Amino acid sequence: MKTAVFWGCCILADQLGYEMSVRETFPKLDLELVDLRESVCCGDPVKSINDFAANYLGARVLALANQTGLHDLFVPCNRCHFTISEAMNTMSQNQKAGRKIRELLKEEELEYNPGVKVWHTIDLLHDCMGLQKVKKAVEKPLKGLKVASHVGCQIIRYSDLGRVDDAENPSKLDELIRALGAEAIDYPEKLDCCGSALMHSHIDSALSLAGSKLKALQALNVDGMVVSCPDCGLMFDTRQKDTATIVGIKLNVPVLYYTQLLGIALGIDEKKLGLHLNQSPIDHLLAKISA
Amino acid sequence: MSLTDLMTMATPNLESREKILARLCGRDLVNCFQCIKCTSGCTALKLLELRPHEIVKLVNLGFVDELASSDIIWTCATCLKCVQRCPQKASPYHVIVALRNLAVEREAKVPEGYLKAVSQILETGLAEPCRKIVTRKMETVDRECLGLPKVCNPKESFQAVFMKAMEEKP
Repeated sequence: MKTAVFWGCCILADQLGYEMSVRETFPKLDLELVDLRESVCCGDPVKSINDFAANYLGARVLALANQTGLHDLFVPCNRCHFTISEAMNTMSQNQKAGRKIRELLKEEELEYNPGVKVWHTIDLLHDCMGLQKVKKAVEKPLKGLKVASHVGCQIIRYSDLGRVDDAENPSKLDELIRALGAEAIDYPEKLDCCGSALMHSHIDSALSLAGSKLKALQALNVDGMVVSCPDCGLMFDTRQKDTATIVGIKLNVPVLYYTQLLGIALGIDEKKLGLHLNQSPIDHLLAKISA
Repeated sequence: MSLTDLMTMATPNLESREKILARLCGRDLVNCFQCIKCTSGCTALKLLELRPHEIVKLVNLGFVDELASSDIIWTCATCLKCVQRCPQKASPYHVIVALRNLAVEREAKVPEGYLKAVSQILETGLAEPCRKIVTRKMETVDRECLGLPKVCNPKESFQAVFMKAMEEKP
């Protein structure tokens, strides 16, 4: 399968391990990625300033995808996926805004196409490729590894918009983890938010939210946390030390992207998966896998 | 200042209320019956004292001007649990976004992070700049040395059209 890919800002600027592991693992599952002609924002931070302009940016991403001639667009970021989905919703439900957005796009010789299907890492692997295909590709089953998934918020809510999993009891990421031979645990804080949206306005509160979740997970003695959104990765992995300072506890929770874990199970070299970029202590987890 | 303090002696402004309703594109705000499902699941309740059911009620009563100038509308973590769980589809999240947009229009105080993101998008197309990254072993790396493709900025025409979109009012 061939699909266009839209990375958003956070992955391209900061969460390079996610990008590297996607680029390494997807071809092994017969998924070919085609980058859009330019790297732009999906509109997420603009929503709070001007909702119309955010929808314009979201629709613009779809218009750029339309240029590739492909009917599938892969969006690995939860926030981008949500913003683009809301833009699609606006284009179909709000005639006035839809017309204005089409006119603006025309000024750049871009054309919106409602027929583009937007995918996220979770549903592209779980629903489109399928668990069997993932299972079959595994070379190094991750037996004995116990991890906790963090699905994030905007990829499962709100359901009316068409999201990738159940809003209150998401299970697909756990199933994908189990397909690699690892164990995925259930825990009371599973649906708690990473707080990343508050980094624009209330940094301490944002870090406190992420830190509280990590603290709860640490008490459960898991081998690590698995994420599939760059904002969640930024909060739980990159900023883990800062979250520890805020909640006043030493935190040692290995955090990695699902695609990095997948890459390990597929037998791909650690450096190619960007595992040296993770800031959380993932060496424990890597040692357990290779033991 | 707490919401109760803000509302003391305030009078409803039905014109401002209409402005918010117009932005909600048919979401049935008026049907909120204060079941408090939104507030009981709110991510920002514990740390930042956001009570979404109060926001919806206050907008319904017409206390929009007070809300638009209050810090409380900037405490939402956009986890969307309130949208999901509202039995009347009143969607406090969308009310909060509408209030934020109105606050911007009225040139009220807006958290700098958002304004920075917008000016960054105008400049480069992306909301944050690509930077060098330090690995766990303290080596400095960038996209190029990791073998990742170059980030392509949008064409020049983008800036002018984006500015036009930013001037659009509902």
